[in-house]
Amino acid sequence: MNKRFAVSMLTLATLVAARAIPEAQRGPSATPSAIPRMADGKPDFSGMWDNPKPASGPMRGPATVFDRSKFPPFKPGGEPFYEPRTGDPRHDEPRAFCMPSGFPSAFLGPYPVQMIQNAKYLVMTTEFMRVTRIIPLDGRPHQTDIEPTYYGDSVGKWDGDTLVIDTTHFKRWSLDDNYYGNPKEYRMHSDAFHTIERLRRTDAETIKYDFTVDDPKIFTASWTENWEFKLHPEWEKTGLYEMVCNENNRCPGGKCEKP
Amino acid sequence: MGARIGAWVMVLALGATPLMAHHSAVAEYDLEKPVKVSGTVTKVEWSNPHIWFYVDVKNPDGTVTNWGFSGGAPGVLQRRGISRTAMKPGDVVKVEGFRAKDGSSNGSGNTVTFEDGRRVFTAMEGFQPR
Repeated sequence: MNKRFAVSMLTLATLVAARAIPEAQRGPSATPSAIPRMADGKPDFSGMWDNPKPASGPMRGPATVFDRSKFPPFKPGGEPFYEPRTGDPRHDEPRAFCMPSGFPSAFLGPYPVQMIQNAKYLVMTTEFMRVTRIIPLDGRPHQTDIEPTYYGDSVGKWDGDTLVIDTTHFKRWSLDDNYYGNPKEYRMHSDAFHTIERLRRTDAETIKYDFTVDDPKIFTASWTENWEFKLHPEWEKTGLYEMVCNENNRCPGGKCEKP
Repeated sequence: MGARIGAWVMVLALGATPLMAHHSAVAEYDLEKPVKVSGTVTKVEWSNPHIWFYVDVKNPDGTVTNWGFSGGAPGVLQRRGISRTAMKPGDVVKVEGFRAKDGSSNGSGNTVTFEDGRRVFTAMEGFQPR
């Protein structure tokens, strides 16, 4: 019995030692055993997470919204931030026609985000429209001479235990979360939109998620939202549900089809 | 007893948080035209991006109009323990929401109240246009 106990303790100690990480790679509040790590010692972000939310700050129901108080002044003569609604639903709300929500909007609604990671990539998929980002982690530079896209070109690199994701090459598109319901206008980012995400797993259930918005055609400075992802292992059982927008989008733009 | 507890759990689960659309509600619904009708459920479409349910509503002149109402996304509802069987054809419900912009007999099914008082928040409970 004592021998069996000693073997168990030895096994446990070996496992702990194998996961030990040099001090320099640790975050200030994280201990090696507190957060899951990859074989190479990097934090493992894999899991089912709720949409990122502020620890305290504005929400709209279950959806995260930008904190208006953080918006820096507009650039004089810069591109407009507010886009007037014209009455044409295809212009005013393309998402009603199952067009992309854009970034980070698609990840801010009340839908889980599943992250899957290996040594080379972090994959982030939101249940919302099953939007998937595949982010290389090898510190590569951005691509050049590529067409702008709704979700941009994302590249990742490690800063100690913090994963830094830099994204550029966006189309001009709606900045906002899905739930900015002003009937007269909505908010757009420019094609110079640039985001910097900093992810740090502070404990087994939390990723601290600092989201910097940099849009030099519109704003005089960047600003950073301080959000968090919270782990929901109970959602592993069903995984992400399918969400095919065109399955039964009955009233696009307010014009309803017959059932 | 177990069934009663189950019903209470259902009420709490349904009322926990608003469920919202995949786009701004002003794109499809006229927030100046609230709708409040009562009738019998004829069909439930458990489909994306929102569930739809249809309700036969008797008009003052004796005719019947089949109204369509959108609800939450199926995945969001299922994660809260609300399955496709939560509402069935034959159920008598009161629905409150906003009418579709084209003026047809369709709307957002913001709040559904069953005969036994259960309230199902389907789409945009608490939505405040701004």
